[in-house]
Amino acid sequence: MTFNRTLKLLLAGAAVTLSASAAMAQTNLRVFISSQHRPDVWRKAFDMYEAKNPNVKVTIETGGNTSEAQAQYLNTVMTAKDSSLDVMILDVIRPAQYAAAGWTVPFNDVIGDVGAYMKRYLPAYAEANTVDGKVVALPAFADAMFLYYRKDLLEKHGVQPPQTWDELAAAAKKITEAEKDPNLQGLSFQGKAIEGAVCTFLLPYWSMGKQLVSDGKLSFDKDAAVKSLKLWKDFVDQGVAKKNIAEVATDDTRKEFQAGNVLFAVNWSYAWGQFQGAESAVKDKVGVVKLPSVKGGQPASCLGGWEWGVSAYSNNKTEAQKLVQYLSSPETSEFMAINAALLPQFPEVYTDPDVTKAVPWFASARPVVETAKARPVTPRYNEVSEIIRTTINGVLAGQATPEEGATQMEGRLRRVLR
Amino acid sequence: MAIAGETTLAARQDENATKRWVRFLDPSERTLAVLLLMPAALLLALIIVYPVCRLVWTSFHNLSLTSGAPATFAGIENYTLMLEDPVFWETTWNTVLITLITVPGALLVGMALALMANLPFKVKWPVRLSLLIPWALPLSFAGLIFAWFFHSEYGVVNDVFRRLGFEGVIWFNSASWAFAAICLTIVWKTSSFMALIILAGLQTIPHSLYEAAEVDGAGRFRQFFEITLPLLKPSIVVALIFRTITALQTFDIPFTMTRGGPGTSTATLAMYIHQNTVDFLDLGYGSALAVVMFALSMAVTAVYLRMIRAKG
Repeated sequence: MTFNRTLKLLLAGAAVTLSASAAMAQTNLRVFISSQHRPDVWRKAFDMYEAKNPNVKVTIETGGNTSEAQAQYLNTVMTAKDSSLDVMILDVIRPAQYAAAGWTVPFNDVIGDVGAYMKRYLPAYAEANTVDGKVVALPAFADAMFLYYRKDLLEKHGVQPPQTWDELAAAAKKITEAEKDPNLQGLSFQGKAIEGAVCTFLLPYWSMGKQLVSDGKLSFDKDAAVKSLKLWKDFVDQGVAKKNIAEVATDDTRKEFQAGNVLFAVNWSYAWGQFQGAESAVKDKVGVVKLPSVKGGQPASCLGGWEWGVSAYSNNKTEAQKLVQYLSSPETSEFMAINAALLPQFPEVYTDPDVTKAVPWFASARPVVETAKARPVTPRYNEVSEIIRTTINGVLAGQATPEEGATQMEGRLRRVLR
Repeated sequence: MAIAGETTLAARQDENATKRWVRFLDPSERTLAVLLLMPAALLLALIIVYPVCRLVWTSFHNLSLTSGAPATFAGIENYTLMLEDPVFWETTWNTVLITLITVPGALLVGMALALMANLPFKVKWPVRLSLLIPWALPLSFAGLIFAWFFHSEYGVVNDVFRRLGFEGVIWFNSASWAFAAICLTIVWKTSSFMALIILAGLQTIPHSLYEAAEVDGAGRFRQFFEITLPLLKPSIVVALIFRTITALQTFDIPFTMTRGGPGTSTATLAMYIHQNTVDFLDLGYGSALAVVMFALSMAVTAVYLRMIRAKG
């Protein structure tokens, strides 16, 4: 009886010790990736990491195909202080916000010389991920908005890609009139009240050399805002853009262009790969250039891109940080550029021979990404974004004049950034 | 004789009541009563009183989860901010307008549906089923279906318009058209609920009343206004209470159809609360807005209850 009991105790003890040591050896990391950012290719990158680090197992969790949907999900997980996620991908507008909320862990202790480490990235990404000297996230990949155009139609009518929005309007009128195709729109952009519409407003606003927020304070230029809203509304009134543009979201622009119904389109880099796909009506007929500017202004693009953050509630912070360093390395960047056509966050990768062989247009994408501007950096970005996108949506739908829109926007922004 | 009898009865009742009261004052009885009531009271406190108190407490604090700072007392700041917030006024007005349009709308359509369903059909189930389907459909689902119906390019509504030779309408490009589309959807979705309650009321009216009225020479209209409507009043009031309170909390249908657009012209107060709490994580301001909506719902319910009591 006593012997039996002792044996049982010993066995139980051994089992506990064994499982404990197994748990110590094996770290399970759970990574959140948005469904539109090629989790299938990231999986291959994780497989390579697991091969080199046998004690780490990575599982992927996907969700939400818009920036807002992902943010809503992550907000819930983070406010619940849930430890189930270790690493999460964040839209470039969010690292500052997550850091302010205390939801991410800084990398300063693990990356050594912060200045030297961050200098390797394109400056905009080094900046977007550094808040008060703390590196709050590391870049996953870059992105920017481009002007896509129908190379075949522009060549046919002897038109050069436009440098200003006025030139674009003139070119669109000339070509759509000559083509006599009732389905052909001059320009497609994002007018629906989504994150993309914030960029729609900011593109001409920035190209007039104005900033929305400087040093966390509102620096709203009402004249420039009126001009920006008027520019887009005029496209609708002149028939350059279609009347229901206030219903158009990012992927609608992509689909319409891909179906051959659009001459010029404002969109992110992901669209390029789809335009060259087998089902595309515009395969090999697409040109891409930097966005036009207002007359006398400088061209500006909206900085996009995604970052890797480590959850402050993770139980495996150190392992998670190591994984993120690998995911945000030049090697992974090159791998993702070649296999998933994600724009690199390192300048030299754009001209890497393997990359230019796989995605030749990346070489011309670099200057655009380099000059892209970051949307306002503030912990209350969600509110700022909502104000801008509902205002431009209302103006495009004819609910408010550009002047009224700018006045409303200023009043509401002032309340948020008071 | 009868009067004397009644007096004795009243006296006996009094005596009984006193006895009961004395017995209740007995400590063991009282403890038992309290103990028996305790679980229900605790449950009620947990699921109703605590959240409401917490909501009111939060509404007097600065509590934004994105700032990472703990809650600080703000006094009535959230409420004064609300007064100068044009979006608060716009969404409140939209909510009131939706209530004023869709509650009577759903009542009229629901009444018509109920009267139709009450006709002596031989086979009753197809009528009842068609009444139940819109009622059983989730709100957001109805919103998504109608958003497609009203889509300017691919929607069935514009398709019908075009086939009839009219130009299609860009429904969600104009506040008034978008509003009309939303109200139509809400009336479609909610009138069947009104119809179900009214139908139940209709079936309690004895048929003999109509037979007597017919003998007296009353026409259909007279029968409806003199018999049906007065006897339906309790059912109508119950249906109205439920519908009005849900109308004040309208969220799903405009959220799925327009997201409050164009601009913020079709956003409701419930959507604005959701936006402040879920999207902006500004719990202080969101709670203050929710307190206002709570007060609004309570006031409306009080008015209805008073109406019932006055009638009763």
